[in-house]
Amino acid sequence: MHPIQPTRTGYWVLAILALVVLAPLLSLLAQTILIRGESTGLPFWQSSYIHRVIFFSLWQAFLSAVLSIVLALLVARALAHYDTFLFRGLLLKLFGLPLVVPSIVAVMGVVSVYGSNGWIPLGRSLYGLNGILLAHVFFNMPLAVRLLLPVWQLIPTHHWEMSEQLGFTRWQQWRHLEWQALREGLLGISLLIFMLCLTSFAVVLTLGGGPKSTTLEVAIYQSLRFDFNPSRAALLALLQFAVCFFVACGSSLFHKLPDVEITLSNTRLKNKSKNQVINIIIILIAFIFVSMPLVSMIIDSINSSILVVIQQPKLWFSAILSLFIGLAASSLAVITGWLLLDTSSDLAVLGRKRKASLIEILGSIVYVVPPLVIVTGIFVLLSPYLSVFDWAIPVVIMVNAMMGLSFVIRTLGPAMRQNKMRYKSLCDSLALTKWQRFKTIEWPLLRKPVGLSSALVAAMAMGDLGVIVLFGTPEITTLPLMLYHQLSAYLMPSAAVTAVFLLFFCLLIFWLLEKLIGGK
Amino acid sequence: MLNIEQLQFNYTSKKKNSKNTKDKNYPENIVKNTKIMCFDLSVNTGEVLSLIGPSGSGKSTLLKLIAGFLTASNGKIEIEIENKNEAIQLLQPAKRPVTMVFQEHNLFPHLDVYTNIALGINPSLKMTMQENEAIEQALRSLDLENMQKRSPGSLSGGQRQRVALARALVREQPILLLDEPFSALGPAQREEMIGLVKTMVEKKNMCALLVSHQPNDALLASKWTAFINYGRVVKMDETANLLNKSGLEEIENYLGS
Repeated sequence: MHPIQPTRTGYWVLAILALVVLAPLLSLLAQTILIRGESTGLPFWQSSYIHRVIFFSLWQAFLSAVLSIVLALLVARALAHYDTFLFRGLLLKLFGLPLVVPSIVAVMGVVSVYGSNGWIPLGRSLYGLNGILLAHVFFNMPLAVRLLLPVWQLIPTHHWEMSEQLGFTRWQQWRHLEWQALREGLLGISLLIFMLCLTSFAVVLTLGGGPKSTTLEVAIYQSLRFDFNPSRAALLALLQFAVCFFVACGSSLFHKLPDVEITLSNTRLKNKSKNQVINIIIILIAFIFVSMPLVSMIIDSINSSILVVIQQPKLWFSAILSLFIGLAASSLAVITGWLLLDTSSDLAVLGRKRKASLIEILGSIVYVVPPLVIVTGIFVLLSPYLSVFDWAIPVVIMVNAMMGLSFVIRTLGPAMRQNKMRYKSLCDSLALTKWQRFKTIEWPLLRKPVGLSSALVAAMAMGDLGVIVLFGTPEITTLPLMLYHQLSAYLMPSAAVTAVFLLFFCLLIFWLLEKLIGGK
Repeated sequence: MLNIEQLQFNYTSKKKNSKNTKDKNYPENIVKNTKIMCFDLSVNTGEVLSLIGPSGSGKSTLLKLIAGFLTASNGKIEIEIENKNEAIQLLQPAKRPVTMVFQEHNLFPHLDVYTNIALGINPSLKMTMQENEAIEQALRSLDLENMQKRSPGSLSGGQRQRVALARALVREQPILLLDEPFSALGPAQREEMIGLVKTMVEKKNMCALLVSHQPNDALLASKWTAFINYGRVVKMDETANLLNKSGLEEIENYLGS
């Protein structure tokens, strides 16, 4: 009898992925090398423009990450210590929203609350670094809270009890219990947020963009769409790739170290701090900070142009196109993700863990090669031969599916591996075919994470502005692009209506997909 | 002498409508999913009282009530300190004259052995000369010489528990609560550890409570043993009598003899 072979489908997925990533990258490389010879300007390392752009990209990402993490630590600690808080579940749901809300909509909300004419004006103008930081904190602080909060449950109950018995102060509890549990994961989470801010596009496009506050991502867009300078775009894209590559390599160095005593206790910690007032205040501020922009958007949208905007056929065409993009990207991401995880989890069950995780890391390549880099590569690669604008939709779907793939791997991966660990031998002994396995074991047990990830990928693709803005034309307009055009033309009342329409459309599709696919 | 009188605790299980048949046996089970526990017992100074009984019977709950991690709804915990009886059931955990040793997680993994013990004296870690001397002595008496700088992760299970005992020693609190501290150890090590505990309790005039699942531990450690079931002390007797000729079906069912 020959040994059991893992399914090979994952390798096919990787091969296609390699083609989609490497071809654009190589074309970027070729472009910069070829142009170098005939270039008249200074080499890039002497260009003060590029210096500035690189510095600003890193600086804003660094500040955003630090601010988000520090605030998230405060909020997460308050939530951990006050876990009988009545609306805790609701609050955590709210904190999940920034993942689903299209970034351009959130930016409008942030401006309408914290802008100079808003309810709570923070500073003179939000256009520039301030606004970018604010919007990034709006997106990433809740994310960080959701990632950090489970860490409190890793602290053994006995340690809490001991700290009570020994009479620890709050500071000593923080130092000896909470900080010790948090610190190993903290760097990884910080780098993730740093990366997200480094590649954030819509926020910087709408709130920055001037010569003083341009990131690499936005500079790429400007070179392509305004300066018609593909070679500089290529160079910028390569720089962006290099920066992300280094950050990703850096973050892989800081993997978790094994703990001494790894047994977990599930007991909830209760009334660890006698004084809940501070916790309540922190939770309330966080709640207001995250919910206000959304509330304010909805209020702004109730204006006289509501009927005009809703009756525009263009809005509905864009909505249908957005929906199509969302569903297509989501199906593509889930199917390729499933095929890839099928192989990697097979390998993991067979004990080849390193190979399994290598496959999953390669599948998440989009962390290292930002979408806009790939899109720029495709642009440079194809523009001499065909009208790239005709290919906008397939490119948008493909790139969003790639971003989604990394997400599917993270959400579905652990569940799939666990499922295989538990049931593979049983299935083998019952000699179930692949289809029978899928129908009776895998689908019923895995549809929940599948539902969640497909809903998220669809919502993110529907709200994506980064790719479509490069390729979009007046004829091919998705909802976020339409919104961006309205904003650029200062049609604020219409923009507010469109934004809320887009917001609820995304939430509706998210909710429907999660319910329909995920089941009860 | 440690006296526990009518110490009452209402335990409400978080699972709604759980059909746990055991619950029926709890007395006065009026509210659904609520177990009412009520304990009465006493421990002589310089002795270890063993607590045995099925899981879920309330042994650990009793220790947590004494330590103050749980708050009793009624009743009294009295300890004799310098010939005076003091009621401690209303104090904060940090104010109670108690040291507890758990089965695991007694030590903070990021701190070395010395610091882990010193935390027991003063969490701000400012030690006087005498206190440092006390730590040295505790280490010596528990066979942990030259281990000050070791991290808990580099110690064996038995060594880790000895460090926890060293901390209990330097804290010099009259009540010592041991919640299955030797369960992860082999028989020979367990015997050795019980010996150490007994010496310590006698020398420092402590009142100790030992929760264990091994009847043999009780035989080694205690003159007196209490059998706990459904949130009450069913019987307290000399250990050998309780284990061998209690005549109670509950106890025989538990012991399986």
